Amino acid sequence: MGTIHLFRKPQRSFFGKLLQEFRLVAADRRSWKILLFGAINVLCTGFLLMWCSSTNSIALTAYTYLTIFDLFSLITCLISYWVMMRKPSPVYSFGFERLEVLAVFASTVLAQLGALFILKESAERFLEQPEIHTGRLLVGTFVALSFNLFTMLSIRNKPFAYVSEAASTSWLQEHVADLSRSLCGLIPGLSSIFLPRMNPFVLIDLAGAFALCITYMLIEINNYFAVDTASAIAIALMTFGTMYPMSVYSGKVLLQTTPPHVIGQLDKLIREVSTLDGVLEVRNEHFWTLGFGSLAGSVHVRIRRDANEQMVLAHVSNRLCTLVSTLTVQIFKDDWIRPALSSGPVAPNVLNFSDHHVIPMPLLKNVDERTPVTSTPAKPSSPPPEFSFNTPGKNVSPVILLNTQTRPYSLGLNRGHTPYSSVFSQGLAFPGVGAGQGLRPTFPHIPSRYGINRMGQPRP
Amino acid sequence: MEEKYGGDARPGPGGGLGPVDVPSARLTRYILLLCLTKCLKAVGLFESYDLLKAVHIVQFIFILKLGTAFFMVLFQKPFSSGKPITKHQWIKIFKHAVAGCIISLLWFFGLTLCGPLRTLLLFEHSDIVVISLLSVLFTSSGGGPAKTRGAAFFIIAVICLLLFDNDDLMAKMAEHPEGHHDSALTHMLYTAIAFLGVADHKGGVLLLVLALCCKVGFHTASRKLSIDVGGAKRLQALSQLVSVFLLCPWVIVLSVTTESKVESWFSLIMPFTTVIFFVMILDFYMDSVCSVKMDVSKCARYGSFPIFISALLFGNFWTHPITDQLRAMNRAAHQESTEHVLSGGVVVSAVFFILSANILSSPSKRGQKGTLIGYSPEGTPLYHFMGDAFQHSSQSVPRFIKDSLKQVLEESDSRQIFYFLCLNLLFTFVELFYGVLTNSLGLISDGFHMLFDCSALVMGLFAALMSRWKATRIFSYGYGRIEILSGFINGLFLIVIAFFVFMESVARLIDPPELDTNMLTPVSVGGLIVNLIGICAFSHAHSHGHGASQGNCHSDHGHSHHAHGHGHDHGHSHGFTGGGMNANMRGVFLHVLADTLGSIGVIVSTVLIEQFGWFIADPLCSLFIAVLIFLSVIPLIKDACQVLLLRLPPDHEKELHIALEKIQKIEGLISYRDPHFWRHSASIVAGTIHIQVTSEVLEQRIVQQVTGILKDAGVNNLTIQVEKEAYFQHMSGLSTGFHDVLAMTKQMESLKYCKDGTYIM
Repeated sequence: MGTIHLFRKPQRSFFGKLLQEFRLVAADRRSWKILLFGAINVLCTGFLLMWCSSTNSIALTAYTYLTIFDLFSLITCLISYWVMMRKPSPVYSFGFERLEVLAVFASTVLAQLGALFILKESAERFLEQPEIHTGRLLVGTFVALSFNLFTMLSIRNKPFAYVSEAASTSWLQEHVADLSRSLCGLIPGLSSIFLPRMNPFVLIDLAGAFALCITYMLIEINNYFAVDTASAIAIALMTFGTMYPMSVYSGKVLLQTTPPHVIGQLDKLIREVSTLDGVLEVRNEHFWTLGFGSLAGSVHVRIRRDANEQMVLAHVSNRLCTLVSTLTVQIFKDDWIRPALSSGPVAPNVLNFSDHHVIPMPLLKNVDERTPVTSTPAKPSSPPPEFSFNTPGKNVSPVILLNTQTRPYSLGLNRGHTPYSSVFSQGLAFPGVGAGQGLRPTFPHIPSRYGINRMGQPRP
Repeated sequence: MEEKYGGDARPGPGGGLGPVDVPSARLTRYILLLCLTKCLKAVGLFESYDLLKAVHIVQFIFILKLGTAFFMVLFQKPFSSGKPITKHQWIKIFKHAVAGCIISLLWFFGLTLCGPLRTLLLFEHSDIVVISLLSVLFTSSGGGPAKTRGAAFFIIAVICLLLFDNDDLMAKMAEHPEGHHDSALTHMLYTAIAFLGVADHKGGVLLLVLALCCKVGFHTASRKLSIDVGGAKRLQALSQLVSVFLLCPWVIVLSVTTESKVESWFSLIMPFTTVIFFVMILDFYMDSVCSVKMDVSKCARYGSFPIFISALLFGNFWTHPITDQLRAMNRAAHQESTEHVLSGGVVVSAVFFILSANILSSPSKRGQKGTLIGYSPEGTPLYHFMGDAFQHSSQSVPRFIKDSLKQVLEESDSRQIFYFLCLNLLFTFVELFYGVLTNSLGLISDGFHMLFDCSALVMGLFAALMSRWKATRIFSYGYGRIEILSGFINGLFLIVIAFFVFMESVARLIDPPELDTNMLTPVSVGGLIVNLIGICAFSHAHSHGHGASQGNCHSDHGHSHHAHGHGHDHGHSHGFTGGGMNANMRGVFLHVLADTLGSIGVIVSTVLIEQFGWFIADPLCSLFIAVLIFLSVIPLIKDACQVLLLRLPPDHEKELHIALEKIQKIEGLISYRDPHFWRHSASIVAGTIHIQVTSEVLEQRIVQQVTGILKDAGVNNLTIQVEKEAYFQHMSGLSTGFHDVLAMTKQMESLKYCKDGTYIM
C-alpha cells in the first residue's frame, strides 16, 4: 500500500505531497465510498486480529490476511482513480498507468508472502499444537466473510476485475468449474452462476469460510486442534493458487513482455507490413503492454533504397496503430548515402553536421561514391515506385490529382506511368477536410497491387 | 455427465474404434457377484485378523498359501495342461513367488498392526486407482483437475488415518514390552516402525501404503510373465505352489523353536478355509472374470464401493452380538474386544477413499487435450494430439542437474548466491537434525525459519539464472528485467518480515515473556558466522549495491564489515543509482543483512538478559531491527519501483536533457515529440522518440545524428521515428475516420509549421 505511494516522491515534504494527492483523489465522489470501505476494513481487520490472538487460531489469521488483501485492493482502486486524473509528467513519460499494474502486482505478492508466513507458522505448529479456543472463531469467520463479499460485490474495482478476467485460471477455479460442470448437468439453471469461471476472490472467500466452519465443527466435537493448522495450510494454498496467476499476469506486464494473446494478431500485422511495397524486413520488434490493455511498441523497418520513407512510415504506422497505441517506427535504409533522391540539399547538410562524431565515416563514403551515383540513375531497371496512388504534393492541388498521374515523389525519373487511377474511388468527397479528399485509396485493392509489384522486383 | 458421453457416444456404427459396452443388463449379474465377493473378502479379512491373534504370521501365510495352491492346482492343472515351462521361466516364477510372499507378509503384518477396517481401506485399491494416483503425483500430465482432486482426496484420506484417527487402544498397545514378539521378523519390523517414531497403528498405515505401491508394481511387472507362462491363473497357481515350498522350511523351523499358542489346530480348520476361500480364491477368480467381462475402470469402481462400505459396517458390528452367528462358528471364546473400533477420522477417511477411488478409476479423457481438426467423411470428429509423446524430450536427471549447475556456476552473481545458499542450507539441516536429535523445539523452529529465508535466496538464484536467457518473442528485450522484479519482490518480502517482527515485538513489549536463553547463543552465533560470510562475499562483488543501504544500517557489529565492503569500490560510481545497478543482488544482500541483524539482535539481547536480567531488551532489540530492516529496504523498493514504472533513468537524467537540447539544434529539425526513455534492465536503457523534420533533409541522416547523440547519453536500445509533413498527409489520407484526420491535422498544427502555400489547412 504505502510502499507504492510512498516512494514516488521521496522529498522532505513527502507527507505534504501525499496529502495533496490524496485531496485530489478525495475530491472525486466515487472515492468516498472506497474510503468509507477502507475505514470499515481497518476496523474490521483490527477486530479480527484481536480475535485471532484470543482464539489462537492460525486458520483465522490466514483468513484475516484475506481481509488485509481486501484493503490492498481498495487502495489499488484509489490508485487507479488517481492514475486516471494524472497526466504524464516529463519524468514518467508514459504516464502513471503502470502504477495500477504495480499496485496489483504488489498486493498479490504481499498476499502470497502472507500465505508463505502462514505456511511457516503452521509448520512450526505441527510440531507443537497449541490449544484453540473456539469462542470467537465462528463470529470472526462470518464477520470477515460478509465483509469481504460485501466489498467485492459492491465496489467496482477496475484493475482487479481486469486482472482476474485476463489472468489464467487458478487451480481453485479449475476445480470448481470442473465440479460445477457436472452439477450443471443436473441443474442447468446454475450454469449462469458457476460456469465460465467464478470470480476468484468470491471463491476464495467462500472456500476459506468453509474451511473455517469445518475447523470449528471438528474442534467443537472432538477437540481435533490439528484441524486448525491443516485448514490454515489449506487457506494458504488456496491464497497461493488464487493470487499466483494474477501476479504472473501483472508481473509479465511489468516485465514488458508481449502478451501471448495478441501475438497472433501482431504476427498477422507484421506479415502485412512486410509485404508492403518497399519494405525489405521488419526487425527489432518490441511490443509490450503499457498498462492493462494498452499496447506500446517500437519496430525497425528496413526498406528499399528507392522507396519513399514517409510513405512507408505512414503505411506501417497505419497498419500497426490499430493494435498498438503508442508506436514508434524507425525506417532505415542500407547505403542511404548514395542518394536516390535528388542530391541537391544533401551535400551542404553533410558538411554542416561534421561536428558530430558519427559523421566522418559516411562522409568519406559519400565522397567516394558520389560520381557514379549522380551520373547514372539509381536503378534503371527498377519497376515503378511503390505506393503509386497519388498523394498530394506541395505543388499539386488535390482536385487535379484525381485525374493525372503526377507523382510528387517520383524520384526525378519519369518512368512507369501505370494508370492506377482506377483504384481511386472518385467520389470520395470529404466535405469538411479538403485535403483528405483524393488521398484515400480503396483499401481492398492495395494488398493485391503490392503483390503484383513485388513479384517483378529485384531487391536492391 | 461425462459418463453419459462415455457410454452413449462411443459405440458408433463403424465399431472397432474403442471398446464397445455390453448392454448393462448382462453386466448386472457380474456386478452383483463382484459386490458379493468383495463383501465376503471383507468378512475374510476380519476373520483373518482374529486368526492372526492366535497364529503366528508366517504360519498363517504358509497355511493360506498352501490352501490356495492346493485349490488352484486342483482347478487349473498347471502341469498337465498348457505348454511346458522352461527353466528360465521357472526362475521368473520363483522371483514372482518371493515378491508375492513379501507383499503378503507386509499386508498381514499391517493387518495385525492397524486392524482389518483400516487395512481394507488402505489396501483394497485396484491397480488403476493407484496408477492414476501416481501419475498425477509424479507426472505433469495427470489428466485434468478431476484426477488431481481424486489424488488430493486420497492423500487427505491417508492423512486422516494418520492424524485424526484416535485409535487409542492401539496407542496403548504401542507401549508393548519389547520381548513380546514372536519372531525375529516381526521384531525387526516393529523396531523399524519404532525407529520412525510413530505409534504402531500409524506405522501400520505407512506400511500398508508401501505394500499397496509394491502390490501395484508387482502386478504390473508380472503381467508379461503371466502371458509367457500362459495365463494369469496358471502363473498364480504355480507361484503359490513355489511360495509354499519357499515358506516351508521357515515354518518348520518356527514350529520347532517356538511353542504354539494354538490349543487345537482342529478348531481352526473352518476359519482357515473361509479365509482361504474368501480372501484368496474367490476374489482372484472374480477379479479375473470381471476384468474380462467389464471395463477395468468400471470393475474398479464397482469393486471398491462395496468393500469399503462393508468394511465400515463390519468395523462397527464385528464385536456386536448380531455377528455372533458369524463369529461363533469360528471362535467359541468370545472375548470382549474394543480395539480398532470405528472413529470419526476413519469414517471421514473412508468417505474420502470412496470418493477418490471413484474419481481416480473413472476413465481418463485424453481426448480433451487433442485439438479438433475436422470431421471424417463419416462424420466422426478427428482430433490431433499434440500430446505427451512430442513434448517430452526427456532428460535424465543427473544430466539436468549437471547442466543447471554449470549454468549456475558460469557467472559470478549466481555462483555467489548458489554457494551461499548451499552454506545456508547446510547450516539449516545441521540445525534441524540436531534439533530432532535433542528434541529441542526452539532449534527446529529456527531451522524452519532459516528454510523460509532460503526461499528468498532461491528466488534470487532463479532470477540471476533467468536474466541470462536469450530474448524470445514474448520477452523481446531479453530477460534482464526479471532481476529488477525479483529485487522488488525481495524488498516486499523484507518489508513483510519487518512488519511481522515489529508486530511481534510490540506484542512482547506489552507482555514480555520469560525466555530460556541458554540454547539461543550457540545457534545465533552460528547463524551470525554464516551470514557474515555471506555479507563478505556479496559486498566484495557488489559494493555499489551495498552503498545504497549504507547510510541506514549502522549497527555495532556489522560496521567493520560495511567499511570493509566499502573500501573495495573506488572505481564504482555508487549511491542510490549506481552504475551497474543489480536489484536482484541488492535484494539478496539486504536479506542476508537482515538475517545478520537478527542474529546480532539475539546475541545482544541474550547478553543483556543474562547480565542484567532485562527481559525488555529482547522486544526492544527486535523493534530496533525491524525499523532498521524497513529503512534499509526503502531505497531498493524505490529504485525498483522507478524502473518498473518506466521512469526516466535518474542516472541519465541530466545527460538526456542535454542530449534533447542538442537534438533540437540539429539542422532541418523542427521539433520532437513523445520522448520516452526508460531503463529496461541493468544493461538496457531503451528509448523511443518521434522527430519532425523539414521536407528537404534526409531522414537517414537525422536518424544517424540523433542515434549518435542519444547513444552518447547512454541509451542503447533506440527507435527513432522521423516524420515529415508528408507523413501526416499520408496518415490523414490513410486514416478512415474523420476524427483521426482531425487529430492528425491538429497535430500538424501543433508543429506550428507554416511553410508555404502548400500547407494544407
